[in-house]
Amino acid sequence: MRSYIARRLLLLVPVLLGVSVVVFLVLHLSPGDPAEIMLGSQATQEDLTRLRRELGLTEPLYIQYLHWVTHVARGDLGRSLWMKRPVLDEVLNRYKATLVLTASGLLLSTLGGIALGVASAVRPHSLLDRMSAVTSLFGASMPVFWLGIVLMVIFSLWLGWLPASGMWAPYGGGDLRDLLAHLILPAVTLAAASLTIIARLTRSTMLDILNQDYIRTARAKGLVEGRVVFRHGLKNALIPIVTVVGVQAGYLLGGAVLTETVFAWPGVGLLMVQGILARDFPLVQGCVLVIALTFVLINLAVDLLYAYLDPRIQYE
Amino acid sequence: MTARRALASFCMIALALGAFAAPVAAQPAGTLLVGLVAEPVNLDPAQVTDLNSNRVGRRVVETLVTFPDESTQVVPGLAESWTISKDGLQYTFKLKNGIKFHDGTPLNAEAVKFSIERQINTEHPAYKIGKYPFANFFFGNVKAVEVLSDERVAFLLKEPRASFLSILTAGAASIVSPTAVMKWGPDYPSHPVGTGPFRFASWDRGQRVVLEKNPAYWKYPVKLERVIYRPIVEDQARLTELLTGGLDLIVGVPADFVAQLEQNPKVTLLKQTGAHVWYLGINNQKKPFDDKRVRQALNYAVNKDAIVRDVLKGTGSLSKGPVLPGTWGADAGLKAYPYDPEKAKKLLAEAGYPNGFTTTMWVPESGSGMQAPVAMSTVMQSNLKAVGVNVTLQTMEWGAYLTKLRTKEQELFALSWMAGTEDPDMVMYPLLHSSQWTPVGPNRAQYKNARFDELLQQARLTTDQGKRAALYREAQRILVDDAPWVFIDHEIQIAAFAKRVQSFKLHPSFDLRVETISLK
Repeated sequence: MRSYIARRLLLLVPVLLGVSVVVFLVLHLSPGDPAEIMLGSQATQEDLTRLRRELGLTEPLYIQYLHWVTHVARGDLGRSLWMKRPVLDEVLNRYKATLVLTASGLLLSTLGGIALGVASAVRPHSLLDRMSAVTSLFGASMPVFWLGIVLMVIFSLWLGWLPASGMWAPYGGGDLRDLLAHLILPAVTLAAASLTIIARLTRSTMLDILNQDYIRTARAKGLVEGRVVFRHGLKNALIPIVTVVGVQAGYLLGGAVLTETVFAWPGVGLLMVQGILARDFPLVQGCVLVIALTFVLINLAVDLLYAYLDPRIQYE
Repeated sequence: MTARRALASFCMIALALGAFAAPVAAQPAGTLLVGLVAEPVNLDPAQVTDLNSNRVGRRVVETLVTFPDESTQVVPGLAESWTISKDGLQYTFKLKNGIKFHDGTPLNAEAVKFSIERQINTEHPAYKIGKYPFANFFFGNVKAVEVLSDERVAFLLKEPRASFLSILTAGAASIVSPTAVMKWGPDYPSHPVGTGPFRFASWDRGQRVVLEKNPAYWKYPVKLERVIYRPIVEDQARLTELLTGGLDLIVGVPADFVAQLEQNPKVTLLKQTGAHVWYLGINNQKKPFDDKRVRQALNYAVNKDAIVRDVLKGTGSLSKGPVLPGTWGADAGLKAYPYDPEKAKKLLAEAGYPNGFTTTMWVPESGSGMQAPVAMSTVMQSNLKAVGVNVTLQTMEWGAYLTKLRTKEQELFALSWMAGTEDPDMVMYPLLHSSQWTPVGPNRAQYKNARFDELLQQARLTTDQGKRAALYREAQRILVDDAPWVFIDHEIQIAAFAKRVQSFKLHPSFDLRVETISLK
């Protein structure tokens, strides 16, 4: 088990290197360069040449990449071209906010999805089941930014219950209550699509399992229905659900980019969008690196969970 | 049973969440909340190029000369007076006495020299610790800055330039505390120190920048205690925050929200035309646009009124030329091209295109000062089709667009210019003088007219404003006749603010001068 984890962690190095090469190439090969964007429509050739030289953009691509990689190996992600601040500080500062948002989104979609799925499976074709099917359809097909704005208009503008944007109140606040009030709308927006996917999957897996012989046996020996459903049913249905939750974690990290933009949530996603628009290579690389690392670690956690859920699974 | 229980627990979670619904905290006295469209990049105006950074950064630092409220005529700032040598090569400034930077460093001639030379003198100790993108654009013509005494400083120019005073009002010309720059080094842009009405207090990345009042401000007592800037990218979120008390003031209200806000009793709307011009550039060297009649035809064919009325919905005013109407350099007698498709067809026929032609229009999806580029271009496309010119629209992301515009392959292209000042030299020279053809400068229309060039050059060398104005008036008449662009509009900035905000004025330079505000 320990050597398995060690091996998986070692694998991180090539994965992150690969990610960084791809991001580096995508950013450098797409049209537009940071000097051009900084100077905007008033740029003269002379200014552009000077700024490109100062930003180190005149070096050949592979030199620029090697330069970056050697610095990263020493724990230095460089300075943002555009903000002039150290990338590592900037990204770590924002990462906390992204983590809070995606973790809440994941928690909400997993708990909500499983609860809804189990409820639908226990009474298939009931009113609740049908309602959940319709809601799922909506949830899965609504674009994140649209849902976000609709929720904002209803709960902030019309009802005035929740703040419309940000992570903390502009002054005062700063406590858990303040954070939760700001978190609800973005977390619900982010979780909606994943929640419905998890709910549908839970429902179909549970339906399948509840028709198995051992469930009939469990009922026959007189177990309480709740125990049958959760202990014997749900636990066995969890393997595919956990797999999907792992995949959804990646989706949520991606969805956070949009959600953060809509709700001015001060996370990595929002920072990355600004970085991409400015072609701020070191900044975007830093953001992607942190997000990729998170995704890989979540997947590792999911793989380890399998063994806990099903003792027959072993790692070598 | 389980289903019901699940439903019940779900409701309980929802209720619990609802309990956290935060009531809006009472506003602390004297605090103004300002919504920005994007977060400032950094707070050293010499190192940034975007509007939002300048709007915050320029509250902290000041310039030698400045603009009064609601105009871009040059008036004294940190310098109480100045003289210009006869040959126009030396500008000598006398600094106001007794002004101190927020960190206690005295404002003197050395500080002025430091602030400018750090950007242009490669040997300067502060040159390496920053990147100054517009140093050459603004100060390329400065040979040296000389300290004459503690309070007298001279700028020596390489060649005379009448708009030099206007240049010294730019953010890049801000006077910074040399002590603070050397203390913070590359991190100075996050710790700006100047002489302005507000001093920098704190910056929570992605959330807020806080400025506090400078109690020792030299010009007047500042009424606000503090200003909190909140970056909120999404229009709807910014608007909701304004209407629910999370913001007191927003600028750049999207055209679609204007009508809705005008009806709202909670907010006041303020409008002002800014020193900006939006145009459809035409590549004057490329066929068929090398024929003046074709370019004039395009001007007659485009229904500018419809664009301003239906697309911009009151956030733009009709443009007759590059210079803002009503300012000293503008030609009041200038006639706008009326919307006249018949005349356009006639001119096209005369030029040898009775059946029109096919061309391409490049359009950015967004961009600084670009208003609603895609919608505006779509109207132009259909206008041009009506006179037989078939236009293919190519929309591009802003960064990619700027690069593409360097290729000289453009036929028609949508672009705008924020000069930040009314001096015609800052608009006409870079955009239309033939020495500024791309890729060297920003004359992307590749426009050239010898007489026009001569007039602009002469106006640069003339210090008398009345004489300059006459030269610019003639240049504008030539320009409108030559029609190197289709002139579209000047942006009307719109601010919306809560009723408690008093005596706020918009500035035509697009600066956001919150220091004039008092709160009820």
